[in-house]
Amino acid sequence: MLRRTILKLMATLAATSLLPFGAFAEMPKTVDKPVTITFYNYNLASAGAGSEATKELIANFEKKNPNVKVETIAVPSNEIINRVQADVVAGKQPDVAQLTFRDLIFIASDLGGNALEDMVSPAELKEHLTGIFPKGLELGKVDGKTYGLAYTFSTPILYYNADLFKAAGLDPNNPPKTWADVAIAGKAIKEKTSKNGFFPGAYGPTDGTFVYQSIVMSNGGKVREGDKLTFADKNAAEAVKTMRDMVQSGAHAKIDPASASDTFSAGNMGMFLYTTALLSSVKKSAAGKFDLRLAPMPSFGEKPTAPTNSGSALFVFSKDPAKQRASYELLKYLTSPDAYTIITSKIGYLPLRLDIVDDPNQLGPWAKENPMFRSNLEQLNRLTPNMAFPGPNYRQVEKMMMDSVREAVFGSGDPIATLKTAQEQAQDLMP
Amino acid sequence: MTIDTSHDHQPLASLTAETGGKTRRIAVHVVMIVLSVLSIFPIYWMIVTSLRPENEIFSTAMWPANPTLDNYVFVLTRIPMLQMLFNTTVVAATTAGLQVVTGLFAAYALVRWKMRLSGVIHGLIALSWLVPFQVTMIPNYVLASKLGLLDTLTGLILPNASHAFAVLLLYHAMRSFPTEILEAARIDGAKSWKILWQIVAPNMGAPIASLSIIAFISAWNEYFWPLLLSRKPENSVVQIGLQMFMTQEGNLWGPLMAAAALASLPILIIYLVLQRHVIESFMKSGIR
Repeated sequence: MLRRTILKLMATLAATSLLPFGAFAEMPKTVDKPVTITFYNYNLASAGAGSEATKELIANFEKKNPNVKVETIAVPSNEIINRVQADVVAGKQPDVAQLTFRDLIFIASDLGGNALEDMVSPAELKEHLTGIFPKGLELGKVDGKTYGLAYTFSTPILYYNADLFKAAGLDPNNPPKTWADVAIAGKAIKEKTSKNGFFPGAYGPTDGTFVYQSIVMSNGGKVREGDKLTFADKNAAEAVKTMRDMVQSGAHAKIDPASASDTFSAGNMGMFLYTTALLSSVKKSAAGKFDLRLAPMPSFGEKPTAPTNSGSALFVFSKDPAKQRASYELLKYLTSPDAYTIITSKIGYLPLRLDIVDDPNQLGPWAKENPMFRSNLEQLNRLTPNMAFPGPNYRQVEKMMMDSVREAVFGSGDPIATLKTAQEQAQDLMP
Repeated sequence: MTIDTSHDHQPLASLTAETGGKTRRIAVHVVMIVLSVLSIFPIYWMIVTSLRPENEIFSTAMWPANPTLDNYVFVLTRIPMLQMLFNTTVVAATTAGLQVVTGLFAAYALVRWKMRLSGVIHGLIALSWLVPFQVTMIPNYVLASKLGLLDTLTGLILPNASHAFAVLLLYHAMRSFPTEILEAARIDGAKSWKILWQIVAPNMGAPIASLSIIAFISAWNEYFWPLLLSRKPENSVVQIGLQMFMTQEGNLWGPLMAAAALASLPILIIYLVLQRHVIESFMKSGIR
């Protein structure tokens, strides 16, 4: 019995030692034969700028890589993880997928996502990752390995209506820098114009947790530490209480969270904290109606802000070495300077490569025409990775946390007690 | 001398009754007019919003200052809207047709042949109606994938080709069909196939029309199954098309309203042409 076990162990060790990177067979150096790979993408499931830009990116890639055919599967962002999972179950192995950061740990631990370090040789990986800003690379890492390569992502930015600032007797050239400033400005707007003062895109059904986590982390809080939930701990809870205090003073609006962006776009709100992905759409609505401006996200006093990221990363699931090579080539192109020039200028997401911003052949001309975008770029040196939850119940934990945040901000009970109760209950669902 | 006032009283009473009736009629009309305006206003607002330029989308004016057809052009050029409308028509019409046929077969079998387990089978069919589609969605998806039906219209139609509601509606309608006629036909040598298609079905016009209309509208509005099964917009249906205007980069309200106006046109036409049948269908079968 013992002998058989030792033999099995030796055989396994021998087999794994033959493979160059972990459990992966070596990818061919190039794509020599025609290969078709699937690309699950949520931008293609929309009719907005994201779809057109993605089609352009894929056409460019196929032109550069004539042996690779990309079969696109368009799925809305809130459904795409379920589709990838359903296809894995159905035996239709996905190759590349654009998935959101909230699913990061699940993708790495349960869904069979490939770590780039296991799939690509260190030298080749280093060559591609050179030029990408290091904090951007951290976004897709789990236990030190890169499962997702940040693709379309952004950080929260403060949109403000300069006309409402003027009407409320505020200086639009001096936007709020701290949450105390937001509370004063929000209250003035509410009292003098009867419009809504401030609202963060943090509580809606499709908002995820990035705005909320940015606020919490800017106050030195965290939603979890390892497997221990900490969203009700001192700094995190105080950040939520700041929002609650603003609700009580009238500075923070009490509106349907799903309608916040429309309320701002309609000119009925003074300040709105949300991703720059919305910039193009808000600009069109504001054109000729009100003076739209942007400012960095507010801070808690002197504490530096810790903006975290919205958006998506690219993940590779291919098991076949030839498809892995084709998938990696797609990943490389989609995170190249050329691709980021298209992604930033045509959709509005942040470039993963900052050296292209002032390059006259890349984003240079666009960056000059869109000075508002600089506010978001300035925040990147403080970019803090969004924290995904571990374990099979991660979505439930996230929901319980956000439900309690909504209750703490808009409810009538003690906000800290509300968060604590939810944290205790949700802790049971953590691994 | 007595004065007969009865002649005077009569017209007065009838006048009062007439006035009361008139007031009631006016009140009923006022209520109906208010309800009609409330029902029609969202459709009016959808059409008006579809004609607004982007910077007027959030305007509350009853008519756009600069009406434009740009949103319709955007819809027709950005997504394969006409192909989606065609796909939806094919899926809805075929689904409705198949539900009628499978419903007729099952109802005829349950009514015509009294088996020992008829009650159990009837109960099981009724129970299957209570199972939410989301529960069977993933097993259905895996099966559709194995059968090579992903991203096909056949895949969208097949799981809905029979429905407990169709069977139960036709079963109850068929139960009231006179058995004497069926017996007479059988004595005359007619087989079940002939009895079903030449005697029963032609006399069940009303329930079949009701079922067809409800099944068509239900299939037209289907969202979850096409969302899971479709892989490309051109192979999908119009409800998925509508969702495409709610993007990560903001909701495109103008194009969304234009697409919704286009998507609701066929259903509106059905209502206008078959108004009486549609209302009767919903009244008889309960709101679905």
